[in-house]
Amino acid sequence: MPKILLVEDNEMNRDMLSRRLARKGYEVALAMDGLQGVTMASSGGYDLILMDMSLPELDGWEATRRVREAEAGAGRRVPIIALTAHAMSGDREKAMAAGCDDYDTKPVELDRLLGKIESLLGKQA
Amino acid sequence: MSGLTTPEAVAELRHELRTPLNLIIGYCEMLLEDATDQQQRIALEQTLTAGRDVLERINATVPPTRGEISEADFAALRDALREPQGRILTNTSALLAADGGAIDPQFERDVRRIRSSAERLLTVELPHARSGSHPAITIEHPIHGAAAAPPVQPAHILVVDDQEDNRSVLERRLRRQGHTVESATGGRSALELLGAQQFDLVLLDVMMPDLDGLAVLERMKADSATRDIPVIMISALDDVASVVRCIERGAEDHLPKPFDPVLLRARISACLEKKRLRDVELEYLREVGRVIQAAIQVEAGSYENGVLAQVAQRGDELGRLARVFDAMANQVRAREDRLKEQVAALRREIGEARQTSKPAAPRGKLSLPTGELFAGRFEVLDEIGSGGMGMVYRALDRELGDQVAIKTLRPELLQDTSLVERFKSEIRLARTISSKHVVRTHDIGERDGVYYLTMEYVEGITVRELLDTRGRLGTAPTLAIASQLAQSLVAAHEQGVIHRDIKPQNLLLDAGGVLKVMDFGVARLAGGTANLTEVGMLVGTPSYMAPEQMMGESFDHRIDLYATGVVLYECLVGKLPFEANSAVALIARVLRDAPPAPALHDPEIPQAFSDLVVRLLAKDPAQRPANAAELVRLLSDLS
Repeated sequence: MPKILLVEDNEMNRDMLSRRLARKGYEVALAMDGLQGVTMASSGGYDLILMDMSLPELDGWEATRRVREAEAGAGRRVPIIALTAHAMSGDREKAMAAGCDDYDTKPVELDRLLGKIESLLGKQA
Repeated sequence: MSGLTTPEAVAELRHELRTPLNLIIGYCEMLLEDATDQQQRIALEQTLTAGRDVLERINATVPPTRGEISEADFAALRDALREPQGRILTNTSALLAADGGAIDPQFERDVRRIRSSAERLLTVELPHARSGSHPAITIEHPIHGAAAAPPVQPAHILVVDDQEDNRSVLERRLRRQGHTVESATGGRSALELLGAQQFDLVLLDVMMPDLDGLAVLERMKADSATRDIPVIMISALDDVASVVRCIERGAEDHLPKPFDPVLLRARISACLEKKRLRDVELEYLREVGRVIQAAIQVEAGSYENGVLAQVAQRGDELGRLARVFDAMANQVRAREDRLKEQVAALRREIGEARQTSKPAAPRGKLSLPTGELFAGRFEVLDEIGSGGMGMVYRALDRELGDQVAIKTLRPELLQDTSLVERFKSEIRLARTISSKHVVRTHDIGERDGVYYLTMEYVEGITVRELLDTRGRLGTAPTLAIASQLAQSLVAAHEQGVIHRDIKPQNLLLDAGGVLKVMDFGVARLAGGTANLTEVGMLVGTPSYMAPEQMMGESFDHRIDLYATGVVLYECLVGKLPFEANSAVALIARVLRDAPPAPALHDPEIPQAFSDLVVRLLAKDPAQRPANAAELVRLLSDLS
């Protein structure tokens, strides 16, 4: 069962998305802010990270950069999908530049997101 | 360009709007996956459609490529969102109305989240620049006015709501308005916080699982510590009935969900302003209460310096009143203290004089043996006076345990039954006078053919004794006597009782300097039988008698004012206004001569006081003050 780390500060968003992913057969771990996300990611064991970009303290862009820095030392790379409700043009490029592998917007279209997740997991496999 | 935001603000606006939408759509789709009930499915599908309509309208007004948005566009977007938002609220209401069965708690929670997210949509404001991250921008919001204007008064506010989203929206908004905020997730924790901190305002959700808003409100109102904190109820629009219940139980206002920022700000400001005014009013009333309390203390003789210090610091009229009152109270107390000392000294002198010259042994049946029980009830303690009407004793009333004075009356005063009846009715009338300046008459009785009166026993000395011992009294003590005597007459005349025999012998001063007038209702007895040949025996001299009374003409309450004039004259000058060697000569002078003004005897006597005394001595009752109340007023003008 693939393991996804969902980094999301909004409790309802965490609840909703994690339950929807669980229904699709994913095991979901939750981080409530960027710092916790970076810490949990560094421990390894996740197949994919869903990273909300609007996080308090340490935002998604910076958290992604730090995850990538840590991985550079460890020699692995977990796919990260950026999630944002801003959904402004240019955000995709920005996310990719920060080290994300893909990008999706809120409101989440689950099928589209699942497509991206599966595609990234497939690549990884 | 005025009225336009920056690209960053547009991005933030999209984020603020799309975040709740993400929840609406996400939860809806998830619930639809499980829904089997046809009606539930329809409501969920309609909710989902409405959510997607909202998304479409947001994207149309604020597309991802847009770098700015005008106030007008934003206002139009808000209006455009109302309709689909309404659909979401209606459908979620239907989903929450458990039709014939219990709702699954998880399902209910998810639907409530859809609802609160929908409510949040219309509370989104046009974002403003944050210091440090964006260049400062000023936006004149068309609806909100200056949305970031400082609050009317920063307050400490408690937000109580079990829904995390509502709490965080409210907290954010209130902090942005300059308030400090604490929040509680339920009724019990709210009550704990209320016990630990001072809040200016409480925003209280009606529907909460552990202890609902109504119960919290009731506990707050029952507790004097929290009773005055204003409470605004938070409620969904379909919960109006419970809001009405809350307002009936003392909630200040209600705030419908979704929170409209303009309404939120206005209601909170109004509520805080009302509280401020109420606090000011309460404080004012408390301070008025302090002044009243001080007045009571002055009356009771327990006024302490400084009890009005706080009120006296006020810059308004009440402060001025307190300062003047404090100064006057101190003067009065100083005067009373002096008077008390004088009275105490006099009592000692009189006591010593009595020891050395006991009055001649009297009077047959009129005398009561001391140490014995009289009329089966009164233990006679000692003789305290004797006069034309009979003897006066101090006795212990064994039934009531109080000391009383007993006055025995000479039998010839009450020779026939009609006189006795008239006297009794006079005494009954006199008993209705209620004044601390009147010695209360208790009862009239008869024992072995001797009639007697029982009355309040007052430890003190008469003004007669005072004058005999000290001579004239001076202006201030005379004024004190005058004012109290006039007050006793106000009370008596109100009850239709004329004293008829006001004279220094009937004016008692107790140890506290309080004047008490004796023998109301009694003088009728003397007056009824008195004639000029008996005057010397009965009432001393006719010196205090008004001309109309002397002449046997009809008279009214103003004879007491005349007698008061004579008493005051004597107190001020040390002698009577008219003196003569015989009763006939005296009457001639009273009827004919004008009294020499007191001020002629002593220039220290204020002219106005002297004039007032002369006016009281007017031959024509119409020239005297009209009544005792007017005399009280005239005297207060003098002091």
